[in-house]
Amino acid sequence: MPSRLTKPSVWLPILSLVLVLGGWEVVGRSIDPLLFAPPSAVAATLASLLATGELQAAAQVTMKALFLGYALAIIAGIPFGVLMGALPRLGDILQPYLYAIFSTPRVVVVPLIIVWFGIGFEARLFLVFFWSAIAISVNTAQGVRHARPDLVEVARSFRANRIEMARHVLIPGAIPFVVAGLRIGAERAIVGVIIGEMFLQIVGLGGVIQKGSVELLPAKMLSAVMVIAVLGTIIVTMLDLVEKRFQSWRGEST
Amino acid sequence: MKRRPNHEVRRDQLIGVAVFLTVWEVSAQAFDKPLLLPPVSAILAALWELLISGALIKALGESILLLVAGLAVASLIGFICGTLIARSKTAYWMLNPYFSALFVTPTIALVPLVLVWFGFGFTGRVIVVVLAAVVPILFSVASGLRDSPDDLIEVARSFGVKGEIQLLFQVRLRAAMPVLMAGLRLAAGRAVVGMAVAETYLRLGGIGGLIKSYGAVFQTDFVFAAILPLSLLGIAIVTLISRFERRLHWT
Amino acid sequence: MTNATIRNTHPPAIELKGIRKSFVLSEGRNARTVMALDGIDLAINQHEFVTIIGPSGCGKTTLLRVMASLILPDAGDVLVDGAPVSEPGTKRAMVFQTFGLFPWKTVIDNVTFPLMVRKLPAAKAREIAMEHLVRVGLEKFVDAHPHQLSGGMQQRVGLSRALATGADVLLMDEPFGAIDAQTREFMQEELMRIWQEEQKTVIFITHDLDEAVMLADRVLLMSRGPGRVREIIDVDLPRPRTDYDVRVRKNFTETRSHLWNLLRNDLVEQRAEETT
Ligand SMILES: Nc1ncnc2c1ncn2[C@@H]1O[C@H](COP(=O)(O)OP(=O)(O)OP(=O)(O)O)[C@@H](O)[C@H]1O
Ligand SMILES: [Mg+2]
Repeated sequence: MPSRLTKPSVWLPILSLVLVLGGWEVVGRSIDPLLFAPPSAVAATLASLLATGELQAAAQVTMKALFLGYALAIIAGIPFGVLMGALPRLGDILQPYLYAIFSTPRVVVVPLIIVWFGIGFEARLFLVFFWSAIAISVNTAQGVRHARPDLVEVARSFRANRIEMARHVLIPGAIPFVVAGLRIGAERAIVGVIIGEMFLQIVGLGGVIQKGSVELLPAKMLSAVMVIAVLGTIIVTMLDLVEKRFQSWRGEST
Repeated sequence: MKRRPNHEVRRDQLIGVAVFLTVWEVSAQAFDKPLLLPPVSAILAALWELLISGALIKALGESILLLVAGLAVASLIGFICGTLIARSKTAYWMLNPYFSALFVTPTIALVPLVLVWFGFGFTGRVIVVVLAAVVPILFSVASGLRDSPDDLIEVARSFGVKGEIQLLFQVRLRAAMPVLMAGLRLAAGRAVVGMAVAETYLRLGGIGGLIKSYGAVFQTDFVFAAILPLSLLGIAIVTLISRFERRLHWT
Repeated sequence: MTNATIRNTHPPAIELKGIRKSFVLSEGRNARTVMALDGIDLAINQHEFVTIIGPSGCGKTTLLRVMASLILPDAGDVLVDGAPVSEPGTKRAMVFQTFGLFPWKTVIDNVTFPLMVRKLPAAKAREIAMEHLVRVGLEKFVDAHPHQLSGGMQQRVGLSRALATGADVLLMDEPFGAIDAQTREFMQEELMRIWQEEQKTVIFITHDLDEAVMLADRVLLMSRGPGRVREIIDVDLPRPRTDYDVRVRKNFTETRSHLWNLLRNDLVEQRAEETT
């Protein structure tokens, strides 16, 4: 398809990839092929990891904790957020704690999680669930409280009852915020699952990186990093698309 | 947005904190498992000890140095690449995919590679902070400069401002300032995470190292006592930047 | 000095010779050329007040940007005081429809901006700016930011900035278009006063027929499609015209309806083209 390839949005990234990989291959080989793992070595490692099924198994372990934790975060986060939004006083009281927890780097909370949950599946699940749930609930609460006074007024002037008000004004107004929370929550969940696998229980894709580090095999680490990057890109891109779809609903009142 | 009066919110929050700490203290005393849940008084005692021994100040100093160095390097790289990406389609298509990938990859996953390639010295640790913080800065520079303020550019040109560089500094960057500051705020939050990661994974140092070494010997009260200033550091930096941001809102 | 002697001893303030300008509009794959100015010859005398009207998209703004040397014509020459120019200069100053104030600068810093570009000492620039701000009654707002001012006040800042440059020629693109009707009349009076006191040359684009006739020595009517000068009309009304009843004079109403009839044809044609 020559017409496709002449588009700069297609051939420029390809050109740049070729340049980067080529340069890396040359430099990596000339310095220390073991340490600087040129693309050829990464490709070979990736192939062998896939052939033995190690990578697939690791990805499965990662996804299980990721999706379960994220699902729980949604199930808990949205209702909790609605509650905080509906009871502004509760929301205001809890806000500082949620904010403090949310801005605390999770690597430093690892020691606490070890004493509370051990280093098993539950501990990893908690790392995924808790921070993701906070992101979702805080955003949901903001959305519920965001109801535009002018639209509420309009609905009231047309004598809308409570259910109609929720259906036509409150829920549509809150959805963009909830969706934004879901995206931020997903980003948090991905980081959480990898932290758990590198610091708590050496399993999954994070575990592959950690093992590669111990065995001094950068090619192995890079293989896992690539899989994580692809996984992250897919998830975040999907949620980005959903978010854009609802963006226009987020009209601000003036 | 339903906003309650500030003084009411503050009163409720104060009462909330008092209740929270009391309940914590009482239940921790009753529970009596300081390994799992040290009482507030023990945490405060630990904090006091960290303070007077000077360990906390020293660790914070180290951490802030790392943070500032990392943010500075990230800003420089983000500024240069962001400007390129905004002003040139070629640069956009050649560079943007890598930065997008970097944005969604957890920094923690990259740290073992940094360790192998750059070691655990200051360079390696700065690189970790840069990896964490560079993308929001870069994206904000790119998006801030992409929405070209054509009308103001025309004003400046009509009064004799000449050349792309002059226009960049006198108009484009100024107009992009709110976006740039929002990017810096995001970056600062991520930089704190990067800093903690570097300090716990590469070489125990700074406040992150302090926490990890107390965690290793299961001194939970000291772990809490050291996490507290770290959280406050993160919140303080972000708040500082938002303050500055608010002053920039002209529209 | 009478107008006649000025005309004899001075070259025109601004002269356009055979100006052509077209733009390339790229809509996806197929590019289309739009002729915005198609051979404009025009001389604007020293101290003259010329208003320009014409249907939307006829090239008024393009004409003004060419006069300001913000864009270069494809063909033809722009002469200021008889000398050809190719970049913005200190003899011409623009006033913009959307005011063109830098939102991050205070009022005074907006006004000193052109002077700072010219490397004037800050104190001197400030002094000049203050003088002009006082004249338009904005001395209390020098340290405010533009968003804290009403539209009328913002445009007074824009006007002060142009006047503070000391330029002899003011190029104004629908300067009062975004200002409410009452403030607008007030600003018109103010502009006429300044123009008369300071002997400026003003080129003023507007969509408002009353405004066009009210302010002008000559009204320049542009025609739709390839931008050309359709007609130039002398406005024979006594000055000062600050008096409201200038609008009910016979000359005023006749000139106005003459312009409207010309303009109306263009608008009807444009409508027809759009609907087919
Ligand atoms: N920078 C540009 N790029 C492409 N086309 C342009 C550009 N500037 C003007 N044009 C086109 O040239 C024509 C004249 O535009 P111009 O802005 O001069 O009209 P105008 O008379 O000022 O209109 P209005 O009354 O709406 O302000 C229009 O068809 C416009 O689309
Ligand atoms: Mg125009």
